[in-house]
Amino acid sequence: MVRLWFDKGTILLKGDVGTPYGKWDPRVGCFRIKALYYRDVLGYFEESKIPFEDNVQQLPPLETLKSTVQLRSYQESALERWQRNENKGVLVLPTAAGKTYIALKAVDVLRVQALIVVPTLDLIDQWRSRIKEWLGVESGAVGGGENNVRMITVATYDSAYLQAAFLGNRFRLIVFDEVHHLASPSYMQIAEMYTAPYRMGLTATYERIDERHQLLPRLVGDLVFSVEVDELAGKHLAPYTYEKKFVELSMKDQQLYDREMEIFRRYLRENRIVMKSPRDFQRFIMRTGRDPRAREALLARNRALKTALNSQEKITALGKMLERNKKEKALIFTLHTDLVYAISRQFLIPAITYLTPKKERREILESFRKGNYNTIVTSQVLDEGIDVPDATMGYILSGTGSTRAYIQRLGRLLRKVEGKKARLIEIVSKETLEVRMSRRRTQKSAEGKK
Amino acid sequence: MLPSNLLTVWKRKGIIQPRYAQLSAENLQVAKKLIEAHKHGIGKKKKNLKKVADTFEDEGYDYHFVRGLSLLLDRRSVFKCTSKANPFTLRQKIFQATGKNGPATTMVQRRSIIEEVAAQLEISGEELEEMIYADLESELILKEFKPVSTLDLLEEYNLSLAQTLLFDATELRFTVSGNWQNIFFKTKRLGLIYEAYKEDKIWVRIDGPVSLFKLTRRYGTSLAKLLPAIISSPKWTIEAKILWKFTNKIYTFKLESWKHSPVFGTKKTIEAYDSAVEENFANRFTALNSGWRLKREPEPVIAGKYVLIPDFSFEREDAKLYMEVVGFWTTEYLMRKIAKLKKIKEHMLIAVDESLSCERLTKLEKQKRLNIVYYRKKIPLPPILRYLQDSYNKTRIQQTDFLKNLKVTFTEPVIKFEEFAKRIGVSTEVVRAVLTEKIPNNYVPLPNSLIRKDKLEKLKKRLDRQIDKTGRIALNKATQIAQKEQVDLTSAISTLGYRIIWHGINTENAEIVKVEK
Repeated sequence: MVRLWFDKGTILLKGDVGTPYGKWDPRVGCFRIKALYYRDVLGYFEESKIPFEDNVQQLPPLETLKSTVQLRSYQESALERWQRNENKGVLVLPTAAGKTYIALKAVDVLRVQALIVVPTLDLIDQWRSRIKEWLGVESGAVGGGENNVRMITVATYDSAYLQAAFLGNRFRLIVFDEVHHLASPSYMQIAEMYTAPYRMGLTATYERIDERHQLLPRLVGDLVFSVEVDELAGKHLAPYTYEKKFVELSMKDQQLYDREMEIFRRYLRENRIVMKSPRDFQRFIMRTGRDPRAREALLARNRALKTALNSQEKITALGKMLERNKKEKALIFTLHTDLVYAISRQFLIPAITYLTPKKERREILESFRKGNYNTIVTSQVLDEGIDVPDATMGYILSGTGSTRAYIQRLGRLLRKVEGKKARLIEIVSKETLEVRMSRRRTQKSAEGKK
Repeated sequence: MLPSNLLTVWKRKGIIQPRYAQLSAENLQVAKKLIEAHKHGIGKKKKNLKKVADTFEDEGYDYHFVRGLSLLLDRRSVFKCTSKANPFTLRQKIFQATGKNGPATTMVQRRSIIEEVAAQLEISGEELEEMIYADLESELILKEFKPVSTLDLLEEYNLSLAQTLLFDATELRFTVSGNWQNIFFKTKRLGLIYEAYKEDKIWVRIDGPVSLFKLTRRYGTSLAKLLPAIISSPKWTIEAKILWKFTNKIYTFKLESWKHSPVFGTKKTIEAYDSAVEENFANRFTALNSGWRLKREPEPVIAGKYVLIPDFSFEREDAKLYMEVVGFWTTEYLMRKIAKLKKIKEHMLIAVDESLSCERLTKLEKQKRLNIVYYRKKIPLPPILRYLQDSYNKTRIQQTDFLKNLKVTFTEPVIKFEEFAKRIGVSTEVVRAVLTEKIPNNYVPLPNSLIRKDKLEKLKKRLDRQIDKTGRIALNKATQIAQKEQVDLTSAISTLGYRIIWHGINTENAEIVKVEK
């Protein structure tokens, strides 16, 4: 008799037969199999009529669900395609298109133990309240100090990765929210170390600059459904407009900027370094580890960028725009934590950064939702998936130069509210590297839509 | 352990090493200044400490080093928010005042909000402004600092660097001179897998379950956590494979106690016994002077895929036996242990606490041939000594038989027992006993060797010639003559028929004379 059991994120097999999936582990004298292949191994034994004893899964008890989830037609067809693909695969939908509904409907239809993996702690809270609201059950959570497993459990990517050895055999369905994260070298081990035979990936941006999204079919399943922002805009989502405002640097800032930037450029010239792709920049960063002059050049560049980003003129320009649109619900994005706090102090509005405690973050978002606050300034933490139900204005004071973050920041504003037209305004310093970064981003996103 | 952006390394020919901080006067000076900044910084904001560190960076000190030290010092510090009002509730009040009216875009509007909230709290506008973000990390006040010596700080920094490099380790192998039990205990608790094998010494290779399928850094953090346990042994050699993230190449990272102990500082290890039972046994056994050398936590014994770490070893000449002390147990546990023991060549005794059994002993009683000693409270000495003596005798008889049947013809002028014993792989005692009982032809026995008769005669003649002239010769001279014939004079002296006359304790003045018959 062949015996199978779970061992710290892998499956051990004792018996006289091997499988096409396992590998002999001389350290323990058993075959060892990636948890990812659990479903395939069982299939293989059944097909080959090899009797086996399966002790792999240790599932938490099932609970009674009282579902109130109603799907829209495109959500309906997304779920259908996923089910037809043996309950595996990735669904690509723009932010605010109701990915959560589809995932929860899948849990409801399959009625199995499910783990939902999300990128941030905020999203844990959000998913849990949705589960409570739409499926009528309490959910478990792993991450941010909590560790409690239930039929439906929500975990961060970090915790799902770190706890894989203990959680890997406890679910039948695994849902990856913002599944593009899964393709990173360490997070992909989540897919490999969990036995869940049913897998769903959700994202608004399937493609990664580093091409690693090509790994996803093996880990989660093929791309089974995709719908673009423009297809839904107007019909299911609020349309938006995008404007760019140029601000000139003050004389002093401009001089400072030019001087620092020259140090950086001179280093590149002298060492014949050409910067064309993000890859080139990464190579330069590596260089700064060994070459003190490269590091000095990098610091000069950072100082220049900081000058451009933090320029008082920008804050003044922002102030004018806020003044004009005072009654609109707005979000202000900027890359630099220091700038977030400067804006918060200046305009006396709440700020959210990676430093903000969970409790305060929750309070701010809740008050914003209720309308007690109408403007929030934030660094990157709201990048993904957090619901900001009815913001109508967005300001960007600096960008990350990445297509994905750009689209998803847009998405934050695209909430369907009757008769609303969202506006996104980017404030950029004139004639600086930033203009180029911003231009590159717009280009890329345009290419992506073709 | 440090964040990996503070790790700095050098790589050459497949070798990787952290750039350890030299324990130089210059570096000690930096450490001293940073420690003082913390000592004097009590009651001040955290961002002031950063300013001190920044000045060193501006002076050209490696930022990895400066920030690394600062971080270690911050970990010895307690920072607190000392604002009178809770900044969080205070912010809530302000933001609610701003609330639906939208951001405070004019100076007038801003001032009126600040003053309104300040009045509610009965503080001034300035105080309020100061308190808005008093709970931000950089605004926190240093409250306590646990001082550290400059040398300890640099050593801690170096160890942290080594641990940080291990974050990228895919596997680690090591050998140590002690502390095995603790290391294996930690290995298991960290979810790692070990594999032991014997080369010159016992080596242990550690990685994790998934390592079978691919190179992974997944267990790097756990390996880093294991490092302090390994280096708290007196002697160690460690070799880790590092999958360097920037180049995706594999490098070797080596650590050796003779070289790196000073870099990390010598951590004292106290020989702690697992239980009073073991300690009590060790004390009583040592007091016996039985001729057996008792060693606690000897090197592990390889049992198939597993490793057994006996609690004690007993050594006498080249006989070596082990003992394991079992406290709380079940029959199943003992059976498993016995199954493991069957795979090893070594002799192992098991001392089992009767009173801690959770099952009846009947099943085991039948297994009389096993080397189990039962005890209550104290491990009894007599059965253990008997067992040791038995197996010692057994080995001795075996070896004696072997030697007696061994056909050797000696030709060398001198046969040293110890060398010969080593050559044929039996104990020196056995060689001595057999060779002095049945002396080979043409040889004369000395305490530690056999000497060929003609050689002895030759030496005797030479010495006699000298002595006949003066009646005595200096010991030094005689020793020299004997050495030429490869004979140790002191052990042969009575066989030659001489004795030493001492004039004081100095060998220079000693002489030898013939023994009067």
